[in-house]
Amino acid sequence: MHDSDYYRKIGFKCGLEIHQRLATEHKLFCSCDAGMKPDTKIATVERRQRAVAGELGMMDRSTSFESSRGRGFVYNIFENSTCLVDIDEEPPHDVNGDAVETGIRLSSAFNAKVPDEIEPMRKEVVDGSDPSAFQRSMLIGHDGHIEIDGKKYSITSIFLEEESSGIESSNNETVTYNVDRLGVPLIEVDTAPDIRTPSEARSVALRIGQLLRLTGKRDGDCAKYLVQRGIGSIRQDVNVSIEGGTRVEVKGLQEIGSVDIIIENEVERQMKLLEIKKALLARKAQVGAVQDITKLLSRSGAKMISETLKNGGVVLAAGLPGFAGFIGYEIGANRRLGSEISDYAKMSGVKGIIHSDEDLAKYGFSEGEIESVRKELKLGKDDAFMLVTAQKDMCEKAITLATYRARMAMSEVPPETRAVLDAEKGTTKFMRPLPGGSRMYPETDAKPIVVEHAYRKKILDDTIFAQERIAKIREELGGNLQIADQLIGSPKLQIYEYIASRSKCDKLVVAATLLERMKELERGGLRIDIDDDVMVEIFDKYPEGRLTKAGIVEVIKEMPKSEKEIESVLKKKSLERISGNKLKELIKETGMKGREDVIRAIMSKYRLNVDGEELSIMLGGKNEI
Amino acid sequence: MLFMYNEEIASLFTNLEIRVGDRVKVTSADGTFEGILMPRAEVGRNDIIVIKRTDGYNMGIRYAKGIKIEKVSGTKGAFSFPKVEMSHDRSLKTINMLYTGGTIGSKIDYVTGGVYMLTKPEELLAEVPELHGIANMEISNLMSIASEDMTYKEWIRIAQEAAAVLNKGSEGIVITHGTDTMHYTAAALSFMLEGVNAPVVLTGAQRSSDRGSSDAFSNLICSSHIATKSNIAEVGICMHSTSSDGQNIFIRGTKARKMHTSRRDAFRPINSVPICKVDTKGKIEYTSDYRHVGKGSKKVKALTGFEPKVALVKVHPNSNPDIIDYYIGMGYKGIVIEGTGLGHVPTSPSIKELSWIGQIRKAVDSGIIVGVTSQCLYGRVHENVYRNLRLLRGTGAIFCEDMMPEVAYVKLGFLLGNYNKKKAQEMLNVNIAGEITQRTRFDEFEVE
Repeated sequence: MHDSDYYRKIGFKCGLEIHQRLATEHKLFCSCDAGMKPDTKIATVERRQRAVAGELGMMDRSTSFESSRGRGFVYNIFENSTCLVDIDEEPPHDVNGDAVETGIRLSSAFNAKVPDEIEPMRKEVVDGSDPSAFQRSMLIGHDGHIEIDGKKYSITSIFLEEESSGIESSNNETVTYNVDRLGVPLIEVDTAPDIRTPSEARSVALRIGQLLRLTGKRDGDCAKYLVQRGIGSIRQDVNVSIEGGTRVEVKGLQEIGSVDIIIENEVERQMKLLEIKKALLARKAQVGAVQDITKLLSRSGAKMISETLKNGGVVLAAGLPGFAGFIGYEIGANRRLGSEISDYAKMSGVKGIIHSDEDLAKYGFSEGEIESVRKELKLGKDDAFMLVTAQKDMCEKAITLATYRARMAMSEVPPETRAVLDAEKGTTKFMRPLPGGSRMYPETDAKPIVVEHAYRKKILDDTIFAQERIAKIREELGGNLQIADQLIGSPKLQIYEYIASRSKCDKLVVAATLLERMKELERGGLRIDIDDDVMVEIFDKYPEGRLTKAGIVEVIKEMPKSEKEIESVLKKKSLERISGNKLKELIKETGMKGREDVIRAIMSKYRLNVDGEELSIMLGGKNEI
Repeated sequence: MLFMYNEEIASLFTNLEIRVGDRVKVTSADGTFEGILMPRAEVGRNDIIVIKRTDGYNMGIRYAKGIKIEKVSGTKGAFSFPKVEMSHDRSLKTINMLYTGGTIGSKIDYVTGGVYMLTKPEELLAEVPELHGIANMEISNLMSIASEDMTYKEWIRIAQEAAAVLNKGSEGIVITHGTDTMHYTAAALSFMLEGVNAPVVLTGAQRSSDRGSSDAFSNLICSSHIATKSNIAEVGICMHSTSSDGQNIFIRGTKARKMHTSRRDAFRPINSVPICKVDTKGKIEYTSDYRHVGKGSKKVKALTGFEPKVALVKVHPNSNPDIIDYYIGMGYKGIVIEGTGLGHVPTSPSIKELSWIGQIRKAVDSGIIVGVTSQCLYGRVHENVYRNLRLLRGTGAIFCEDMMPEVAYVKLGFLLGNYNKKKAQEMLNVNIAGEITQRTRFDEFEVE
């Protein structure tokens, strides 16, 4: 961990884009179910897409890159959550008014201004994640800010847009997407690049997430939530650059806890790449011409080579004069310049590249073979080489991409969109070139949305902002500020409010169970997946006198799916609470006189059935009964 | 150009020498915004100034008192498509493309934000480089109109051009057309192109070609394959087989109908199966009988007469037959009735004036040819099953077998335009171009 001085010196700049799914009933531009409920796949369609000239007439660099990969796309269609709009077979319906209202509420939560007229746009995407080859998106807020510890962070833009499809599988020829998620309304909150340290980035991400969760709509006595919760419902993209480096976007972080480590690693990676660049320039390194060395390796002992050649493949190599030691140079945990080059080559469908900074013997190459390759490529001691083996077309594509990336090692940190490889280690991999700005054009099938002052005022009048919700929770929890604030910052807040507003159970019991006991279970690896209403039923058993606090946790562990299942868990695990007269009998049965002895005897046997507090009260303050 | 801005804003722009496409700075109560001035959409309020921000998003700023507008810089040069020279490859056949307009030739207009039609069909070819490997393509830019605006005059124009290029030795024709009335044009060309001896393929798109997902690309590729490789001497429509890209079907021009407003597989064969399936790689699988390209070089004749005074009339419960009187009065020469079920019209309803029998008889007696088809679309009409059908037959109306109402309409106009009344009457329910079949196959219903 470096201090803020370090980050200032290296010219660190960072901005965030937080994507949060909204909790509307319907999708943004059609009436499909947006609740992300389990659904049945009913059909598939196969499609092709191509990059078309963008608004300024240029093909955006990321779109033409994907288009050149020429993959086909398969879309899985679902019964309740896919309609013709989603699969590009029907024009969009009117925009979802609830989603627009939510967008206006959330924009205000970030002190942002709402445009007088919101203009729906098409943002071109050709990775296939949208069957229409564009995502509908609109600017709904601008020039906002948040404040953390006295520092202001600009929220430059807030967008209301469509969620993309979830990827099911992919290979060289096709990518399969699930079109259930596509079109669910999403809010994107963008900060200015004025975040100055990775830990600041984490606090900003946390605060944005919190504001998204805490802002609500007044609904009678209740405060309706505006956003979805659960896995994948919030994702953060981070944009990082350093002096001499470039803007790189790491996409789709689901764990807020890993924001800082991902950023630290990206900084490290860019620093290392700059070091490599400097050293390569000093060595006057070059990327040599691609050569076909199939014949040379026709009898190779390397299994990978011999098998490809047997199937009619080729081996293509490129000399890398001056690169020796740098392809294998570590730029992150288990990541080298070679991994970056390999990422590019893989876009053609190959498994990777082989390079001379690796232990080539592990592939089965003999010393003699390596020598002959070096000789063929006319390489000296400081020189390296890389080779790719595959069928000719794929192989040519792969080596072209690999040499393209290798050349960039001498000139720049490439502007890229990267994906998280390992959230714990903070490593990322190349996904595609960073999109430029030339892929937006108006969505002419949808009407612009005029935002009149009166309409905006009405919406804001029934918006509950974070402060109000925080005050209510603090009060509800009897002024227990520690637990209240922990809850406010926790993703468990929504389920807490759901249970607290419906169950007769003591609110502190609900909060403590969710925050402490459930967290323990989850840390232990249990993925708790219980219907909200079943949760209410479980907690109701406490005031009904049928479960103890410890018993609640035992029932949760079994993850019942209905009231009936709660009852059977109760029976199966003998969790029925013992209290009142029955507890008195139990005390009698022990035959003990000492207060502590009685408690010990009963609790050791009936820990899950007896409420310690009740027992203690029943025994009174005396030591002798 | 100050599209759709209100007079006050427009005159302000004029005074400031600001034009759409210029970089402007707008200062309102909400702050200062810089971006490219966009035109207003055609509808909606026109007191909103739309600018495109650097990130590509448009935003609308209400024009109100105190707002300040400055010009920052002028319009950047407009983009034009790379010029495409169609190379001539001697090993490839030469086919013709007749461009008529429609969605397939639509582009987003980045200035107006609307969809407009290409005036240079080459732009379309620029985006489908695959076509170069299929055939040498000669393009005729016939017209650029939406298919809902097509009239018989355009049908005639297309038929004349098709006959002309075929007689010059073209080995196949692809006609790009708007989809809404493509099946009318297909029927018209089927009748008009007498002795056609090459594939004449109509195609279009349900998604405009400015979107990466457009069906235009594979429709053009598949159509070019049929025009080049098949030996079908018929007019037909080549559009998506299913909602997936990759395979198209070629449907006889007199048996195709647009059956969906927006899906890419909207065109279905009615009372027929496709002539063939074709994929984007060029594989053709024939699925029914068709007229084969014959040897020798007989000329194609374009029979270009058409009688516009023909009406297509749909009956329904409560429909009033007075409409027939109108057509009689207006001097109409033909009426195609879209009847119910087997070809019924209201015959003895409780409200006596709603019976159509009297008026139809009057029409026939006044010299109008009346054809009877069914709004079921699928299946064949019949003149004997019920007494009411026999009463209708008794008026002198002609039952049109398994011909679709729209096809019967086009055919009657064609017959009356090229032949005398007697001949037209005789030919209405006799097959000319595959519009009437003798057998109704089991697998012709709701063909996938």
